[in-house]
Amino acid sequence: MAGMLDKLLSLDRRWIFLLVLLCVGTPIVMPIGLPVTTTGSTRAAFDYIESLKPGNYVWISFDYGPSSAPENDPMAEAFLRQCFAKKIRVIVCAFYPLGGLGLATNSLAKVTAEYPNLRYGEDYVNLGYKDGAAAVMRRLGEDIAEAFPADVRGTPLAQLPIMKGLRSIRQVQLVCSVATGVIGEYWITQVHSQIGTPIIIGPTAVAAPKYYAYLNAGQLVGMLGGMKGAAEYEKLLAARYPDMAHFYQSTRGFTATKGMDGQTVIHAVIILFILVGNVAYIMSRRAAQKKGA
Amino acid sequence: MQLPGLETWIAAFLTLACMSFLYKDNPFFRFAESLFAGISLGYFIGITLNQTLVPNLIQPLHRDFAQNWDLLVPGLLGVLLYMRYVPKIGWISRYALSIYVAYYIGLDFTRRIHGEVLPQLARAIVPLTRFDSHTIFYSLIFSLGVFSVLIYFFFSKEQDAVTRRIARLGIWFLMISFGAAFGFTVMGRVALLIGRLNFLILDWIYPMVGLG
Amino acid sequence: MNLEFGRLALVFLFAIIPVVGIALGINSPGLRARIPLFVAFFAGTIPIISLYVPKKFLSGPTGMSPRLDQWLIIVYAFAILLGVVNVLQNSTRKIVRRESGWPFSIVLLAGLFVTGGAGVYGAISRKGITLLPDGTATPFKWIQDQFFQPLQSTIFALLAFFMASAAFRAFRARNTEATILLLAGGLVMAGRVPLLEFLAAPFPPLQPAAAGASQALGKLTEWIMDTPNGAAQSGIIIGAALGAASMAIRVILGIERGYLGLGRGE
Repeated sequence: MAGMLDKLLSLDRRWIFLLVLLCVGTPIVMPIGLPVTTTGSTRAAFDYIESLKPGNYVWISFDYGPSSAPENDPMAEAFLRQCFAKKIRVIVCAFYPLGGLGLATNSLAKVTAEYPNLRYGEDYVNLGYKDGAAAVMRRLGEDIAEAFPADVRGTPLAQLPIMKGLRSIRQVQLVCSVATGVIGEYWITQVHSQIGTPIIIGPTAVAAPKYYAYLNAGQLVGMLGGMKGAAEYEKLLAARYPDMAHFYQSTRGFTATKGMDGQTVIHAVIILFILVGNVAYIMSRRAAQKKGA
Repeated sequence: MQLPGLETWIAAFLTLACMSFLYKDNPFFRFAESLFAGISLGYFIGITLNQTLVPNLIQPLHRDFAQNWDLLVPGLLGVLLYMRYVPKIGWISRYALSIYVAYYIGLDFTRRIHGEVLPQLARAIVPLTRFDSHTIFYSLIFSLGVFSVLIYFFFSKEQDAVTRRIARLGIWFLMISFGAAFGFTVMGRVALLIGRLNFLILDWIYPMVGLG
Repeated sequence: MNLEFGRLALVFLFAIIPVVGIALGINSPGLRARIPLFVAFFAGTIPIISLYVPKKFLSGPTGMSPRLDQWLIIVYAFAILLGVVNVLQNSTRKIVRRESGWPFSIVLLAGLFVTGGAGVYGAISRKGITLLPDGTATPFKWIQDQFFQPLQSTIFALLAFFMASAAFRAFRARNTEATILLLAGGLVMAGRVPLLEFLAAPFPPLQPAAAGASQALGKLTEWIMDTPNGAAQSGIIIGAALGAASMAIRVILGIERGYLGLGRGE
């Protein structure tokens, strides 16, 4: 038995890679449709946006790049859909240099196509990317136009109807930062702590454990942790807005809910890997102890 | 049946070139890796020029010089940063670097104290007026965890028998957190793979075999 | 000409003093280190003091702090591009000397110049780097969507394979601490996904029990994340923040000089 386990442990790692590939790929070809349960932090985020009124402002910051898009894109798009469904005015920006702006542009194009009545510059605006997030956030507290003199197309902010009367981020009801790294922390520690604007964070799963500390300390309204958080949000959204249920359940297009099938299979496999590895380790240790005795 | 377009073929080739590393290091992977590094740097140039330097420096100077004349100074400071590559006068770049580093570290100071130390300490201070299960399993364990982790990180004084035990407890809390972080990290990395396979299967293979 | 106090003060501190410093530094090398540290003191203290001292000359609309924020957004943009010069130097050297793997340096430079060129074109032509008014992509956006996005996401996706391999080969319960780590990791991995429902799927009679157990496991996972993990993260945040704050003071007071390439006594 121990010899067999040893052999298994010395298996060429490329076999493990192949197994991982199959475990993740199979549910894409043959979806399982496993259930998703919601958690308190996601429900709190959802309920907060639900409590906002038409005409309120929500600032959505794309603080991630393609390296985490499968986790973060569904979050950002869910926020956009909920805001547009509630006729909330949306201001979009990006602080992640390597691809944040491109993803913001793509997500906006995709979601606004679902709402043909929306008008750019009145119902939503894309302010684009800006370097020096910490300095920019300081300026947002006093004068948005000093940090973002123009939108992504180069139109001065004064010429955009959505920005009329909106001088500071203090007037914004909520900031949603969909973040992969430290920029989400800037929103909490700079904008929330020094200006007071409520914050919802949609971090990647890798960053999520740290954000629990901010959530616990009451510095966040809510949080969506990784793909699971995004899938929970999609479930809440589909339950509240039946129009969106069709999109989230259709076979075409990527959603976090569909991704959870692959997640579940691979988690089962990795837990099995850990168990097998440890059983082999314990057995070989016992055998060594017996030899020593 | 609609075959995948050129764009999809390019993206699929690059995806497979990167994944070929899993078999072994090879010229296709090294090509993709080098291309990625080059495009990333070019991306920095494009985004910084179009999204920050043009709207925040060049256009304000061009539109209304009298109002924004002082922006010439940060522009020159920015250029000064590059003097470090000229060996004989490299020391000149210290002025720009000192302003840049000191300013952002000053911002960091306010962020850390206001946004991290004070709220996190406030959270760890919990009233024990009621001694129910919620207080024990949430508040008390939380405070104990923060306290023991801080003791573990206190390196200014040698630990005695008592603080060593508290620090050990702190390590256990850290291990739980690192274990949880491992679980979350697996989830994050797998999510990326799901994204790529989703593209390869649904956007590239399916249209090729007429399922798109 | 706008001659507000804030702007003039900033120009004095961060333009006139450096110019004088450079002029003096040409003949006396000792001043090449001292004056930058003097300037750094003001650059670091202005954002801090402006938060606590609400004086018009400092944090008012025409004060020093708001304008300094705007200045430093611009300086940051220049700083972020510093790495490009390094890579240009290294890659060019590799190509000229025909060092091993030099053809890949050509690929790197080609990627850099084509993408960077598309960005410069977007700025000069005023077409930008996202979408054109008709909804089609600019050259920069096309490169981003077809090249940059798949490359970046696949490079990071490779980590999934190595994590699985590491879990198989290296994740061992060697002592108490490692066992705690392993248990917490296993519980969180099981509790964040509908694992029990998945395992019970082939056995319909077990499904209700699996759903109930899955919910309980989910709650345990949330408790682990909220309380022990939250506490440890809180401790790490407080410790790191105090460290960073003390480092900030050292930099502002000129005690820490390593970032300028200077030793303690210089």
